[in-house]
Amino acid sequence: MRRNWMLFCCFGVTACLVRTAIAQEHKESEKASESAATAGLSATNSIPSHDRASPQAFRSSASEDRAARIEGEKRFRTNCGRCHQPPHKFPPRVMATAIRHMRVRAMLTDEDMRLILKYMTQ
Amino acid sequence: MKKTRTFLISADRLRARAGLALLSFALALNPFATPVSAQGVSDEDVKPVPLLQGSVGFITNFTGGQPDLHPIAAPVVLLPIGQRWLFETRATFENDLVQVPGRSGFHGGPVQKEVEYAQIDFIANSYMTVTVGRFLTPFGIFNERLYPAWIRNLQSDPLILPIGIGPSNASTGTMIRGGFKAHPQLNINYTAYFSALSTRSPVDSDRFAGLRAGIFVPSERLEIGGSFQHLLQQERSNLFGFHTIWQPTPLPLDIRGEYAHSRRGSGYWVEPAYKLSQLPFLRNKMRRTQLVARYQQFFAGELPNDALPSVNTKEFEFGVNYYFMDGLKASSNYGRQFSAAGNLNVWTMALTYRFVVPLGPTGSAQ
Ligand code: HEC
Repeated sequence: MRRNWMLFCCFGVTACLVRTAIAQEHKESEKASESAATAGLSATNSIPSHDRASPQAFRSSASEDRAARIEGEKRFRTNCGRCHQPPHKFPPRVMATAIRHMRVRAMLTDEDMRLILKYMTQ
Repeated sequence: MKKTRTFLISADRLRARAGLALLSFALALNPFATPVSAQGVSDEDVKPVPLLQGSVGFITNFTGGQPDLHPIAAPVVLLPIGQRWLFETRATFENDLVQVPGRSGFHGGPVQKEVEYAQIDFIANSYMTVTVGRFLTPFGIFNERLYPAWIRNLQSDPLILPIGIGPSNASTGTMIRGGFKAHPQLNINYTAYFSALSTRSPVDSDRFAGLRAGIFVPSERLEIGGSFQHLLQQERSNLFGFHTIWQPTPLPLDIRGEYAHSRRGSGYWVEPAYKLSQLPFLRNKMRRTQLVARYQQFFAGELPNDALPSVNTKEFEFGVNYYFMDGLKASSNYGRQFSAAGNLNVWTMALTYRFVVPLGPTGSAQ
């Protein structure tokens, strides 16, 4: 007799969710291809100007940065898929909150937290 | 997830509508939550922003042939304060819609609302965080780590879940916890907590004190741990349990398991889950597909507990999950329960989604 309005609401909400999630995925893959393109461009343009500025300093800080990022990625793979699917990257300040939350919930070490945050915000 | 079979009244309808309106509002904000682009931040001290995280799920169960629809929404608010504080809270809104003989459609009771936790965390130093408030009882791993519908591999609760977590899955009191590197190849995590008696439903809790500790070997991605709790009321008994999580590095395989023992019952579950990413065909589809199995056994205790089965029970479940993208998952599983009270089949289908909505500007590093 009384059709349950809630059932329809739930189907509606679920359909909306699927739509937003698909839109989000689209945006992300567009961004990934855009950023790959700009990374390619800036790599060819920026190396000479950096070399002019301070080649030594640039090289050492860049390689430190790279090492931290690689270590961060390793820690991410080790820690972030243990309880749930490893998440995508979020904007830096969102990631900072989520990592603080996970530090408490997942009992990450200080070092893991710093390296993962660095990796997740690059 | 809890079950009731009473009927919807109009005040609850209104409140449920308000809940759904809030949820739609959160979803409307969702474009903020697009993943970060290639621009990075070099500074570690990124200022965290308040977040609304949450999950919604639409779960359909067929238990012994009886269909039951179970919509659930669980918003989480995270409020970082300064460099060392975090306020976190999670509420759940859920309902069970069942068919009633002689009536068409599905009918549900009032929407069940519960504040699952509301806690303040103070990160005192690299070794210790102090928590005060109402927090998920850290006995075993399921309650604290795997409970949300978007995380769990199989939608049904393990039979032993109610052991050691109190009447509403949460404790009211204080907890210290932390994780640190004890050796280059070994991390240790620990938590110690005390909960006071609270009889105010639905935020009731038992009076107990407990500990949980785990050893994590990062190179093997293996965690082994144990929980202990002393009940400071009723029979004043001791409870204990063990857990393990292993993700062997060369395989897309997760193996989780838990054992818990109390005077009101004991048992274990083991759950392997395998992503099909190694299959050489339909790679894009296969890497999103996960096969899960769980075997569990429960042994009735000398004292009764309403939340636990009253007789020895065995259950085998098998499921398939498909991850469309970050946070969105469809799952389907079949289980068969064997007990002296009768054997039954349980089918479940579910669609779950986790969203993250920043409640402030997100991009800049400072
Ligand atoms: C010990 C288990 C565990 C580990 C390990 C873990 N998480 Fe989580 N994570 C959770 C749980 C549980 C939630 C859901 C919290 C809730 O709903 O109360 C969650 C939620 C999240 C969310 C949603 C936003 C939020 O903060 O609630 C993000 C993003 C996230 N985790 C990222 C990560 C990252 C990045 C890592 C690796 C550093 C990680 N998680 C490691 C258990 C874990």
